[in-house]
Amino acid sequence: MSFLEIDKINSYYADSHILFDVSMRLEQREVVALLGRNGAGKSTTLKALMSAVDTKAGSIKLDGRELRGARRHTVANAGLQLVPEERRIFGSLSVEENIVLASLTARPAWPLERIYEMFPRLAERRTSRGTDLSGGEQQMLAIARALVRSPKILLLDEPFEGLAPIIVRDLLAICERLAAEGQTIILVEQNLAAALSIASRAYILNNGHVVFDGTSAELKTSTEILSRYIGV
Amino acid sequence: MTTAPRRRRFAFTAELILGLVLIISPFVLPSIGGTSDTLSRILIWGLFGLGFDLIFGFTGLLSFGQAAFYGTGGFISSYLLVSHTIPNVFIALLIGLVGAAIVGTLVGVLALRRSGIYFAMITVAFGEMFFFLENSALYPWTGGENGLPNVPKPSINLPGFDFAFDSPWKLYGLLAVLFFMGYVIARRIVASPFGHVLTAIRDNPLRAQAVGHRIQLYKLSVFTIAAGYAGLAGGLEGTLQSYMSPESFTFETSGQLVMQTVIGGAGTLLGPLVGGALWLYLRNELQSALGLGAAWKLVLGLVFVVLIMFLRRGIVGGISDLYHFLRPTASPPAEATVPAAPVGRPNTPILRRPISDRVVIEARGISKHYGGIIANEDVNFKVREGEIRGLIGPNGAGKSTFFKMLTGEIKPTSGQIFMFGEETTNLDVTAVCHRGVAKSYQINQLFPKLTVRRNLMISALSRARGEFRLDLFRNVDHMDELNADIDETLRLLDLTPRADVKVSDLAYGEKRRIEIGLALGTNPKVLLLDEPLAGMSPQERADTVVLLNHLAVGRTLVVVEHDMDALFGMADQVTVLAQGRILAEGTPAEVQGSDAVQDAYLGGVHA
Amino acid sequence: MLQKHAKNDHRRHAGEHHVLNWGNFVSQLFNGLVSGALLALISAGLTIVYGTLGVLNLAHGALFMLGGYAGFVAFQATGNFFIAVVVGAAFVGIVGIVIERLIVRFFYNRPEEDQILVTFGIGIVIVELVRAGFGSLSQMVTAPVVVSPIINLGFTIYPEYRLVAFGIVVVALAALYILLYRTRLGMVVRAGIEDATMVDMLGINIQRTFMIVFGIGAMAAGFAGIINAPIISITPNVGDDILIECFVVVVIGGVGSFPGAIVGGIIAGEIMSLTSMFNPQLSQVMLFAVMALVLIARPQGLFGTR
Repeated sequence: MSFLEIDKINSYYADSHILFDVSMRLEQREVVALLGRNGAGKSTTLKALMSAVDTKAGSIKLDGRELRGARRHTVANAGLQLVPEERRIFGSLSVEENIVLASLTARPAWPLERIYEMFPRLAERRTSRGTDLSGGEQQMLAIARALVRSPKILLLDEPFEGLAPIIVRDLLAICERLAAEGQTIILVEQNLAAALSIASRAYILNNGHVVFDGTSAELKTSTEILSRYIGV
Repeated sequence: MTTAPRRRRFAFTAELILGLVLIISPFVLPSIGGTSDTLSRILIWGLFGLGFDLIFGFTGLLSFGQAAFYGTGGFISSYLLVSHTIPNVFIALLIGLVGAAIVGTLVGVLALRRSGIYFAMITVAFGEMFFFLENSALYPWTGGENGLPNVPKPSINLPGFDFAFDSPWKLYGLLAVLFFMGYVIARRIVASPFGHVLTAIRDNPLRAQAVGHRIQLYKLSVFTIAAGYAGLAGGLEGTLQSYMSPESFTFETSGQLVMQTVIGGAGTLLGPLVGGALWLYLRNELQSALGLGAAWKLVLGLVFVVLIMFLRRGIVGGISDLYHFLRPTASPPAEATVPAAPVGRPNTPILRRPISDRVVIEARGISKHYGGIIANEDVNFKVREGEIRGLIGPNGAGKSTFFKMLTGEIKPTSGQIFMFGEETTNLDVTAVCHRGVAKSYQINQLFPKLTVRRNLMISALSRARGEFRLDLFRNVDHMDELNADIDETLRLLDLTPRADVKVSDLAYGEKRRIEIGLALGTNPKVLLLDEPLAGMSPQERADTVVLLNHLAVGRTLVVVEHDMDALFGMADQVTVLAQGRILAEGTPAEVQGSDAVQDAYLGGVHA
Repeated sequence: MLQKHAKNDHRRHAGEHHVLNWGNFVSQLFNGLVSGALLALISAGLTIVYGTLGVLNLAHGALFMLGGYAGFVAFQATGNFFIAVVVGAAFVGIVGIVIERLIVRFFYNRPEEDQILVTFGIGIVIVELVRAGFGSLSQMVTAPVVVSPIINLGFTIYPEYRLVAFGIVVVALAALYILLYRTRLGMVVRAGIEDATMVDMLGINIQRTFMIVFGIGAMAAGFAGIINAPIISITPNVGDDILIECFVVVVIGGVGSFPGAIVGGIIAGEIMSLTSMFNPQLSQVMLFAVMALVLIARPQGLFGTR
């Protein structure tokens, strides 16, 4: 049995059926990329894992424990942690408050020093309010906020979106380091090169269906699949 | 709900039943403890409630300050009578009504600046302000805490005809006639184009605005009408009791009106009457018969809370739901029975009008910044008449923001927008809609409590009537041209068999088609479609592509879509946005062949 | 009629002095501060609940009234005003939590009107329950005396209790501030005001936080109700006017803003108090006139962002 087993989930956004029998599995210490066009259901899959959308059928098992239909904070405390696409930083809270808030129910929580060692920029800005951060800093804070909870699986939703290349490079380095340290990650990303450089395996979603399941190396050479499901 | 089917055999059932009840009540109710005084008071509350139901039940504006207008009307007419300024009761009542309506307009101008809880709080505060005014600055006219005693009873004095309403039952008769007239007028308003726009505002104010209705004017008008009803009811209370009480101005009066309306059923017009009857009956019964004293209000409070929790549509709404549950009207065919192939649209080849040289949409260097975040930067964009333009780009490329600027939903930080050669940069969404530009939304923005036909009617009404019109007594069912247009749109959307189904009961794919239909209903020359295929099944996608190709005849389309196969199959030209800027523009083949575009999508992974 | 009594009392307390002189002016300024601080505390309760839960609690005035009665009962039983304050506030806090668990929590996903209507109904039930238990007549709570009932401040004499009450309310506001801005609970509440779902996704049971916040909001109203009881005698309807004044305060200050509630409260208190020096009858009217001005000039309120 795999560490995370997603078995034939069907998820809905209001009355719109988004995911159709999506199945995925993930081993501990593995980094998996989740790819596909806009609207293919990638973000919805991550949200389904967090109980943030309605999943009517199927099962989500983490370490053998059923999480489908569990409440959001239960899922979070079971060890899944989403870094949402919109980052959702608490703008009225300081950088440090954002991190401390996230650590309140974490068992165990990362010490703040470890966060600041990984994100020196956040240490410099620890008293700044969330709204005063740049886009790149907000993204770092969003990731820091998830990491401080020492999640069993980190769910990253388009972490590089809309950021300047130099910041993408820094964040990519952090993701690589996390991967090297054994952090289990599901990465949703439009930047294919970035995604495949860290992920060992990949899934492609199209219109809510899984249409590819294989290694990154396989995918890089599948011109047909790439242009059909991801390119233009 | 008054969204009755269009072709009714007899349209005055409600009026007939009401008339009979009003005539029979004096003969029946006294035997179970209803006095003429109680019946008359119920009618006054019912009349007061007709206006309130128009703003709350139909327009969705929860006002807790209606006492202000009730008291204003009451004190104006009572003062005019007591001071002998106006001898005729009916003229005094009319002046009170007009006075309350004017005050209603003034309060409305301020209160309607906000909506939701702000609106509720502001109306409470204004209601209270009038209470204190009555007690202080207006003391010489209102008598302050003493109120105005000796208000005369009405009478009709015509040459050769004198009639005084000097007995309780005669007064009841007068009130019954006035209530009946008030009800008929309110029914007409509800059935009018104006009334339909009100329900649209209740269901989805943003979309009502986007399909071209100047909703602030509608809200202000209906607020004024409600104040007029309140003013007349207040004046009648003065003459009925021979005394105008300062109690009429209290928060309790406003609160009682809200409770009676909700208990009876909001959005039914008769709900407030039924709620008022229950209220006064329970008060009399519990207070005297059961000896419960003041506890009657506790019982009512509990009933009210339970109704809100479990039976939000109140007594009348509950009865009407039960009636429709027991007698389903020609059950609508389920989605599955609708043939998969579009029957409404001919399967003939589509004859596209050639693309002309005339530029219909032009954006000159528009940018949109949110604080430090750049959504769009220096976008130059031109679309020629008759074109189908595709607009693509990775997530966060600024496509939706760009669309919102084109429709006037948001203002660009800098740059200019022109539609058909005229600048629209500073016009709002309602004005832009009347320039012939409409948008269908990425996430459905419908009027969920209205039927399919009524949804499409909201758009069609804007086309037929412009931004605002006070056509209170026109019946939408008699607007033949409008209904023919709606039938045509229904056919085009392949929704004819579903015309009388409530939109909230439709399947997702059908809702998606109405989303397009709402934009189409305003008869736009430029149609902006934000992910029209989102969430659709493969069959629905194919059908919708056929539909869009039909819509393109005689129109200009701009389509944001992630289904590349579908989009490249339709579009004449494709514009690619990335990071808020235009990355590439050209024919589908050119765009597909562009390295820059492939880079943006594939991030440099080339097989 | 009952409501009118309450209003008369209110006016009497606001408009005791008509003569314009320096002493009276300072005295009225103090009166404004006292009632302003009370209003600020009650409005803070209302605005925190709205900001966090998105529910405008129309039962807030009734909870204020309930605090007065709970304190009254505790005071009768113990004869100790400070025990009465603690018992009364705690009681109203618990009532708030019960209301949230039994009713309000089912309304988080319902339209705003439904939330307004149901809390309005709850308010009526509370008022009528108290009326059934205690009758409609006003009840007196005697003000505790520390030094002497009236204090000579040199330029004017002033009721001692009002100074004490002002002190207590300022301490309560400070406590509320510390709770909101200096504690972990406060951090969760402020984050919840912004994005409750995200707080939930960070492993914090936001529903439980909602319940606590509703309880704190109720407690603020109840606490103010007891503190206010010796200044105005209490009746079952004493909360109606207070609720409406709170609305004015949050409209002026901006809904959901804690600083807005404080500044709005003081402004409202001073407007009523100073106007009543010239014309007691116009003090309330002036309050609403100022609200109208704010609506025209800054519809989102002084500290509002929405």
